[in-house]
Amino acid sequence: MIKKADLTAYKCRACGHVMYPRHDRCLNCNGREFDKIEPQGKARLLTYTILNELPWGIDERGRVIGIVEFENGVRATGLVLTEEPKVGMKLAATMQPVRVISGIKTYGLAFEPTK
Amino acid sequence: MPFERHEYKSLMDLLAVASLRAMDDAGLGDRPVDAVYVGNMASGLFNHQVSVASALVDRLSLMPATAERIENGPASGGSAIKNGFLAVAAGFADVVLVAGGEKMRGVSGPRSTDIVSAMAQPDVEYIYGVTLPALAGMFARLYMDKFRITPEHLAMVTIKNHNNGALNPYAHIQMIVTLEGILTHPQAKFNNPVVADPLRLYDCCPVSDGAAAVILTTEEIARQLKKPLVKIAGIGQATDTHALQERSDPTDLKAVSCAAERAFAMAGLTPKDVDVAELHDAFTILEIAESEHCGFFEKGEGARALAAGETQITGSLPINPSGGLKARGHPVGATGVAQVVELVWQLRGEAGKRQVKDPEVGFAVNFGGFGNNVVATVVRREG
Amino acid sequence: MDMELEAYLRPPEYPMPPYPAKVITLATGAKMVVRQAEREEVPELLEGVRPTLSVERDYYDIVGARLYAELLGWYRYRVRDEFCLVGQIDGFLVGIVNSRLYSPKLGISYHTLAIERGLRIGAHLFAAKMEHHIEFLGQDEVLITAESPIGFRRWMIEYGLEKRDGQHELGGATPYALTRELYFKAKDRLVAGERPVPPDVLEKATRSLKVASEEEILEKILGVRERPV
Repeated sequence: MIKKADLTAYKCRACGHVMYPRHDRCLNCNGREFDKIEPQGKARLLTYTILNELPWGIDERGRVIGIVEFENGVRATGLVLTEEPKVGMKLAATMQPVRVISGIKTYGLAFEPTK
Repeated sequence: MPFERHEYKSLMDLLAVASLRAMDDAGLGDRPVDAVYVGNMASGLFNHQVSVASALVDRLSLMPATAERIENGPASGGSAIKNGFLAVAAGFADVVLVAGGEKMRGVSGPRSTDIVSAMAQPDVEYIYGVTLPALAGMFARLYMDKFRITPEHLAMVTIKNHNNGALNPYAHIQMIVTLEGILTHPQAKFNNPVVADPLRLYDCCPVSDGAAAVILTTEEIARQLKKPLVKIAGIGQATDTHALQERSDPTDLKAVSCAAERAFAMAGLTPKDVDVAELHDAFTILEIAESEHCGFFEKGEGARALAAGETQITGSLPINPSGGLKARGHPVGATGVAQVVELVWQLRGEAGKRQVKDPEVGFAVNFGGFGNNVVATVVRREG
Repeated sequence: MDMELEAYLRPPEYPMPPYPAKVITLATGAKMVVRQAEREEVPELLEGVRPTLSVERDYYDIVGARLYAELLGWYRYRVRDEFCLVGQIDGFLVGIVNSRLYSPKLGISYHTLAIERGLRIGAHLFAAKMEHHIEFLGQDEVLITAESPIGFRRWMIEYGLEKRDGQHELGGATPYALTRELYFKAKDRLVAGERPVPPDVLEKATRSLKVASEEEILEKILGVRERPV
């Protein structure tokens, strides 16, 4: 069994604020109407960490987790598939298995370095 | 209760012992307790038991007192105190028992890391293996860069808090560490491995079992009980976005600033009036960051003040004389209450070897989630 | 002793190069000497192990009981090619690790016992043991298991151990292997220590192996101390 992370981001029709994950009211103007958008374009790495103390269910050390910002303003957290992460680096988003949760293989954002 | 690994005591044992001590310290005798609030984050997951406030009432034969468990992640203790305070302030209850407790060491390390991670955003954080240290690591990277905080500064927090903890019989960690041993020796990395880069082992608080309790009451009853008057002068609380990625500026701990402002406003006081503070140093970077966000130091000055010794017990603003979460320990639900207990002891002059000189105003910050729900409390000695 | 009779039961001895002592600076600033123990020191070592026999917590009792038997077996020449490394701070015994050589190229890791807690002593001594197997004894692979599942999972993840078929000598448990390759990958991260040990420090450690009292050892393991309980 597999599950894919929902990558739908929400752009407020009233004020244009972009949100990911979902909020039922706009973070900026409390609006209730949104356009569904997908993260677009390259992603820039805002920050990252390298995780060695693992939670139950993850067995490999050295996992790089980062927060990125896409060209269209969507921000997301995901795996960063490089041994030399640098704040500001450009990444391309892919969907890969990120974690097995209750026996279900979950696919989520995994970023690869790009030019 | 001293914080440590309590192999043979259950969560209820810890809560009961701490509660009875508070009740006895207050000299309640046969006076009834009207309301009980228990701060606890995850008894359902750690201990397979829920409704622990009801269970505590039963343990202590406090029926028919009202009772609720209050949950706010690592700020469960602070929120429990807030709710107890509201009950007294509203005239709903005259005598309130607020206890905080957590028993985490009954499960393995990876399991407890995962349970704590349950407070992360499930769809965009948890699935990636994000843990609290991971969030702290991502925050630390940006904060250290922005304000030129060095690994040395972080180590200073560790060393100060371990030194303070060694003076505190209730502290989990009783071990003095040296800058050489954790940072500067060419081989220090073997003692202090990376947990979530840039945070290392000695930047992170331990996993602890423990409980703490306070009795809240009206001024009139406090006078009747003939106890030194320590008043909750102000409480503030504020929230922020759940996922760290959605903070407009991830280095801006808005909920901390806002909660502190609100607490000071209610108390009619300012940061300058504070004589002793218990901040939430689950990670060393947070002590520095909170000291700035609460208004004790300008942004970017917290590390300088730490390095200058201003936050030592003998300094101009002692921070974490108890040893903080780092050395006193962090049984999650207990911490917020333990912070206030420490402040009460300090204000009464009962803090033994770690006593700050003659404090009148104390301040605590209890940091829930990763800064998305923060409770700040101002306590003041009266008369 | 009738050496002719002894010959029936004493296993042949493989000439093992000695372990060069090293010193590790711990988080408290204390210096721990890691050196190879001599057979003659076993009676003192046993005094350090004995208090653990009654401690159920963290599997100390079974580790202690098995380690006791292994050390005694080594002392009485009934275990083949066993070696033992000890950790000492100011002469005091703080940890013991032991193993034996199955063949010139294959080692069998036995036990790791830390008496002081909270300073990664177990981790340091385990790493030293692996250092000896691979670097000084020139072996290709070490088979490892453990009694404590949490402790073992740490090693599995830290070193990236490979599962093997067959049975480990310790109760027939599933063996996991540390190969030369895995060792050298992990070395920079996990194997601490400086050589040579300053002569006066080494002399203090080898001159007398001090073992704390049973009370003190139990206190260290159980973390009990003067507390307002």
